[in-house]
Amino acid sequence: MAEDKTNTKLRVVSSLAGAVAVRGLGHTYNTSGRVTQALADIELDIKPGRFVVIVGPSGCGKSSLLMMMTGLVAPTSGTILCGGQPMTAPDPDRVGVVFQEASLYPWLTAQDNVEFPLSLRGIPKSERAARARDKLALVGLTGFEDRYPHELSGGMKQRVSIARGLVQNPPILMLDEPFAALDEQTRISMGDELLRIWEETGKTVIFVTHSLTEAAYLADEIIVMSARPGRIIDRIEVDLPRPRTYAMMATPRFAELRERIWNQIKTQASE
Amino acid sequence: MTLDISSPAAAGRRIEPGTVRALLGLGVLVAWEVLPRAGLIPSLFLPPLSETLGALVSNWRDYGWHLLVSLRAIGVSMLIACGLGIVGGLLAGSIVSVRRIAQPLASGLYAVPFVILYPLFTAWFGIGPQAKIAFASIYGLLPCLLGTMAGVQTIDRQYVTVARSLRATRWQMISRVLLPAAIPTVLSAFRVGGALVIVGIVVAEMLTSAEGIGYLITRYRTLLDSPRVFAGILVVVALVFAFDELVKLLERRTRHWRLSTRSGESTT
Repeated sequence: MAEDKTNTKLRVVSSLAGAVAVRGLGHTYNTSGRVTQALADIELDIKPGRFVVIVGPSGCGKSSLLMMMTGLVAPTSGTILCGGQPMTAPDPDRVGVVFQEASLYPWLTAQDNVEFPLSLRGIPKSERAARARDKLALVGLTGFEDRYPHELSGGMKQRVSIARGLVQNPPILMLDEPFAALDEQTRISMGDELLRIWEETGKTVIFVTHSLTEAAYLADEIIVMSARPGRIIDRIEVDLPRPRTYAMMATPRFAELRERIWNQIKTQASE
Repeated sequence: MTLDISSPAAAGRRIEPGTVRALLGLGVLVAWEVLPRAGLIPSLFLPPLSETLGALVSNWRDYGWHLLVSLRAIGVSMLIACGLGIVGGLLAGSIVSVRRIAQPLASGLYAVPFVILYPLFTAWFGIGPQAKIAFASIYGLLPCLLGTMAGVQTIDRQYVTVARSLRATRWQMISRVLLPAAIPTVLSAFRVGGALVIVGIVVAEMLTSAEGIGYLITRYRTLLDSPRVFAGILVVVALVFAFDELVKLLERRTRHWRLSTRSGESTT
């Protein structure tokens, strides 16, 4: 809790705890007798503190891959290591998860939603209240602690979700199309918010999206996937300087990045 | 948001619905007093309101004691019916195999008018409080069970996924996620089930019993003492209204998650 605030400007690149490795991952599923290969030969190495975006056409299994990395879904074959340990079940101390829908509990206030993971662990009220307030402050929601989800805007709800994902201080944060349901202005400012939070906390961030612009704007590295079966077809190091700004979207380099991703996935998107 | 199809021009001279309701209620009370007094309705069929209230006040000990007897039976029955119904509904609703057996069975039984079985209940349990408690409990149990079962099924899957990602135990999943998420539907189940429990107790008392408010109504009816019959009816009506207010109070306390239809989305 406190260690996040000590280095507000410097990127705190933690030890191996933030590393993610995927080895020989494959996934098949069975629908009424027909076997479908959803993911094949996925190999990934993500260094601690990196911002990695997984992008691909709909149905490429990018969300499934993320759900497997969180430990929520078991792959048919292969292993996933987070912080060097196999990810066989969800572990909020190692990986915080933010879902596409705000997925906050409507019967809890913003504060109580963020405290919820801690209360499941039986952490005393005063400690979890302080930690939750701390995280709500990190996402810029001081003063909104007592609001219920229906009293918050879409962007605010996702901020609460991010605070909830970070409250146990996992070295890794995984987000599944977190801004997909937001309007464009909110989506861009939420991207900036997430980058700021990432800079302040030094977490490893794995971010799934179908938006090419979002991928190029946020990422250190972009993983491009193809559909049926889902495979990794490209890895792109994004050399745009940080901090990223809105004006960069108009630069030739940004256009090149978007075009490179588009060229990889357009054949599938048109199918 | 409520749909309003009245024209904007009419808005200026619109009467508040609350005012209309109060006027209607007042109208009924005035008619209750005036019609028998004017001789338009024989007072054996409908004694004037003032006479009914007089009967209630002068016999308040009698009504009070029998009301307490009924309230005790209602309390026990609600505990059994709503307790078993809600816990059973939560379990059956979240376990698919149990639900497939329980749901058709429960909805089939719900259609049976249980009151025809009441003579059997008195044969099994005697005419003491056990018979009416058993009867009212079963009467109220089914809507509680069915309502809760349906409520659990409509819970957003995302709530469960989030709790799984946070490594909630099975018990935490039930108590911290499924139960609160089901509360709006559980409350409407309670509204129906609880009202049926009250009906069940009063009807059972009217059929075969030696005490309770239902028994009192039947006794005065056989004596053709209309003011006291109507005084008993007033007590039952007040009881039902009080129960309704209790449910409304509970509903107000849960307004935050009834306002959110899905994943905290606002409907306002």
